[in-house]
Amino acid sequence: MNEKARSGRGADILLILMMVLPLVAAMALKILNTPASEGVVIEGAMVYFSANPNADLNAVISTDLIITDAQINSWLVMISITGLCLFLTRDLREKPVSARQHVAEWIVEKVEGLVSGNMGDFHVNSFAPFVCAVLALSAFSSLMSLIGVFAPTSDLSTVAGWAVLVFLIITAYKACCGPRIYVRSFTSDGPVVAVLNVISEVATPFSMAFRHYGNVMSGAVISVLVAAALKGLSSLVLGWLPGALGQIPLLQVGLPAILSIYFDIFSGALQAYIFAMLTMLYVGGGFPEEEYIARHSAAAAPKAAA
Amino acid sequence: MQSLGVISINLWQVLISLANLGILFLLVKKFLFQPVRNILAQRQAHVDQLYAEADEAKAKAEADQGLWAERMAGARAEADSLIADAREAARRTGDILLDEAKSRADGIVRQAEEEAELEKRRAEEEVRREMADLSTSLAGKLLGREISAEDHRALIDSFLDELDQQKGAL
Repeated sequence: MNEKARSGRGADILLILMMVLPLVAAMALKILNTPASEGVVIEGAMVYFSANPNADLNAVISTDLIITDAQINSWLVMISITGLCLFLTRDLREKPVSARQHVAEWIVEKVEGLVSGNMGDFHVNSFAPFVCAVLALSAFSSLMSLIGVFAPTSDLSTVAGWAVLVFLIITAYKACCGPRIYVRSFTSDGPVVAVLNVISEVATPFSMAFRHYGNVMSGAVISVLVAAALKGLSSLVLGWLPGALGQIPLLQVGLPAILSIYFDIFSGALQAYIFAMLTMLYVGGGFPEEEYIARHSAAAAPKAAA
Repeated sequence: MQSLGVISINLWQVLISLANLGILFLLVKKFLFQPVRNILAQRQAHVDQLYAEADEAKAKAEADQGLWAERMAGARAEADSLIADAREAARRTGDILLDEAKSRADGIVRQAEEEAELEKRRAEEEVRREMADLSTSLAGKLLGREISAEDHRALIDSFLDELDQQKGAL
């Protein structure tokens, strides 16, 4: 019994390390690779690896294989989330004795309630884990900026990847009853509306990606600008103080923290929620459920008869 | 260390990010949703089983209650019939005793009446004899001579009979 409890505690410690160490590693990478810079610098993800050394890194659209800290931080966040899942679901009991089992059940039930409320009960089983993954990855990626590292969500490519996946899922669900019904979902209201429908359909991944990226990135930009302005103001007001005392940007204490609460925590969580919500609404709205069920039961009926 | 532009998009990064979300979906499904759903289903099954057992026990209790009520009613009816039987038997026994006592009393009364009649008759006989004796001695004294008692008695008897006849005629 004692032996078991001790090994359980050991596994707990390992899983907590699995959650915390990736964040520490991200901070260490950031500190080791940040060049000492002067002035205001607003730039995208740092490139750690490039398959083509002569690649033009300032191009808006590129096809070279590069690994930036957006990817690295994404992977570290994924490891953290997996560790959290393992930690929460370790040692589940039929009669819950631990707080973390309550947390795990609360998460699952809340996400399932969200999915069933927005998409109907038909999708709960298949879609709840995906929505949970979107929420967790987006929220924790945005929260990465709290520990001072590059938030993967302020990289357009990262968010665009999620939006493309969501678009593929939307299309797959819309086309699940054959191409005829898929085409009819656009053209049912006449040719003029059909053109608009196609444009809005194609715009979906772009709007999702730019909304998420723009909100997080703009928060980061405003934070940097305010911090830089406060530093300038500080040296202007307090510069007369002798020696090193005048160099300390005392005015940076306070306001950036309040901005961080809004941009890093509130906006990050909100964008995660919005992204998940739009995913559910687009997929649930595009899916011809009645048609699907009718076909499904029609296909199942002869099988049952035979 | 170089950086990308703020607004830049890279095909490989898009693909990697897409794959990342797909992989995290599988991880979350495998390590969070499956275990929690399993334990919830297990709990639901247990709760269902408990409910079924409770329903069964309740149905059994109700059946038992019906049975006991029936049995109680049967016992009460049985007790009632026992009491009625006993009362009937007692009444019958009492009647028999009463009849017996009455008939015995009647017998006693009749016997007493008979004895009284006998006694009366004996007393009449006695009186008659006394009268005969008395009249004999009185007549003997009056006549001064002794007449035979036998004759005398016959005479008196005839006289008395005559008297009786007269009395009957009256």
